[in-house]
Amino acid sequence: MNIDKVLQKGLKSFLPLKDDLPTEMPAYVNSFGYFFGTMTLASLAVVFMSGTVLAFFGPDWWHFSSVGQFFNAMHFWSVEVFYLAVIMHLTFKFFKAAWRGNRFRTWVNGWIIFIITIFSGISGTLLQANWDAQWNSQQGKAAFNALGLSWMNWMNYTTVLTLHVVFFAGLILFFVVTHLAFVRSESPVHPIVNGGKGEIDDGNARALGEGDEK
Amino acid sequence: MSVLSDKNLRGYPMKPYDMVREGLIVFGVMLTIILVLAAVWGFPGKNYGPLTIKEVATKAPVAFLKRTVSYFSGTSRLQTYGPPYTHNDNHAQHIGPFCPNCWVGVIYPLNAKVDFVMQPLQQIAALDPNVATALNTYQNASAKQQTEWNNAYTSALNKAQVTHGRVVLPAGDYGPVPVLMNGMLTFARTGLLEAALTFNTNPNMAPYETNYTRPLLYLGGPIMNTVAGHFDEKGGEWGMSHIAGPYPGAWWLWPYTFLYQIPAIGNSPNGDLIAFLIFLVMLLIAVLAPMIPGLNRIPYVIPVYKIIWRDWYAKYPSGIPSNASRKRV
Ligand code: HEM
Repeated sequence: MNIDKVLQKGLKSFLPLKDDLPTEMPAYVNSFGYFFGTMTLASLAVVFMSGTVLAFFGPDWWHFSSVGQFFNAMHFWSVEVFYLAVIMHLTFKFFKAAWRGNRFRTWVNGWIIFIITIFSGISGTLLQANWDAQWNSQQGKAAFNALGLSWMNWMNYTTVLTLHVVFFAGLILFFVVTHLAFVRSESPVHPIVNGGKGEIDDGNARALGEGDEK
Repeated sequence: MSVLSDKNLRGYPMKPYDMVREGLIVFGVMLTIILVLAAVWGFPGKNYGPLTIKEVATKAPVAFLKRTVSYFSGTSRLQTYGPPYTHNDNHAQHIGPFCPNCWVGVIYPLNAKVDFVMQPLQQIAALDPNVATALNTYQNASAKQQTEWNNAYTSALNKAQVTHGRVVLPAGDYGPVPVLMNGMLTFARTGLLEAALTFNTNPNMAPYETNYTRPLLYLGGPIMNTVAGHFDEKGGEWGMSHIAGPYPGAWWLWPYTFLYQIPAIGNSPNGDLIAFLIFLVMLLIAVLAPMIPGLNRIPYVIPVYKIIWRDWYAKYPSGIPSNASRKRV
């Protein structure tokens, strides 16, 4: 067995270039209902970029220099925009019943990202090195301990920093990539047929007269 | 196209599209919006710096001494906290035998009397002969005598007067305790106590130690609660989802922090565990909604989809392009 060959075959069947970089979309992809996924991705990009700058210069810089404070504010606001976007995104995916047609894994994958971002957000809060961070580490410890998560040392700055900028960020990146791979490989979910009544609407309704229904 | 999209899109009309261009445009717009938000509002809320021990010792010396003597006499709540710091499993949150905290156990053993007070005192004693003598006297006294001094000092603090930063106690027999506690106070006021607490965590690691458990816990309890109360940040006031000042920070945690507003949960000693388990169930329902009968019909009952795809339905009222009734696939 040639592993590269197998991978080539897999990519060709499930993620050919035409899907990675699409030059056409089904005509029904023509709505604000598709905007929020892109908005989520765009704001996430700003989160990563501003966070990278913060990581380079450190807490003294982001609290005591005006440029640092600005990047700190950018990181904060990009997170706010991100959550607005992701909540709109999942709301619209819900109302499109976008899990139809085997897209349940994309849906679950989305929720996995959402849950990881919450942990990422908490670790970020603890990293701020200000009163809020201090207070949240007090309050949060009761909850983390209660849940049996005390083995992650939330009061060790190195641990929290690594969790925030490497571990959670890496997980988010990984699951965003799989999310997009699923989405691109499957094509956007079909509009609901006949109000979802009658036949089971699996989200992959096929136009008639195109030949190959079995 | 991929085998999946090939199958899914057969017979569906397509339109030209440029994904990367659209992505870049949306990115540009988002970046602009975020730059404007950051420029206009900066970091909202107060962004207060951390509360330092120096600040507390200077502005609220009696509160500092009360907390310090509680560690010294072993009466603070932290000394019976339970895992991961102490072995008081009965104080760990649990629902019946379900006690994740007990299962993890004491992985960061903490002896607040030694770690918070005795170790720094020994270091202070090396600098201040009065403290050295007092420490010696204290350690040579009987346990009973120590307790009497501690108790007398603790209750005298309630009647303490602060004049020009000095804490004056009513007359009484406190033994060497006031000298020791004033030694801590003076040291704290120099701003060195956090450093001592941090580096004493593991002296062999001194230049690299970043475990701030001790300095972060030192001001915990009544002192930090009082400060948090000033900022409306107590758990009962939406806790974690708040930032200092009137702004919500992590508003996406509301479904979780909301649970703490229910008195039965907010006031329960096992509140965190209960709230989390309820939240877990809520989350599972949301994740599994597509499989839960009833919930998975909501998109059909509240037909937002008709608005989302209105152009499409205008052209293909049934939803499929051929307009014919469809077969099962
Ligand atoms: C970092 C978080 C996320 C990012 C960056 C992201 C990004 C995207 C993008 C760019 C798309 C394609 C465009 C669109 O249909 O809007 C998409 C589709 C999708 N997303 Fe997300 N998403 C995230 C989180 C979520 C969450 C939390 C859920 C649901 C719980 C979710 C469920 C879906 C589903 C089901 C689709 C397929 C839609 C379809 O076939 O039409 N995503 N996502």
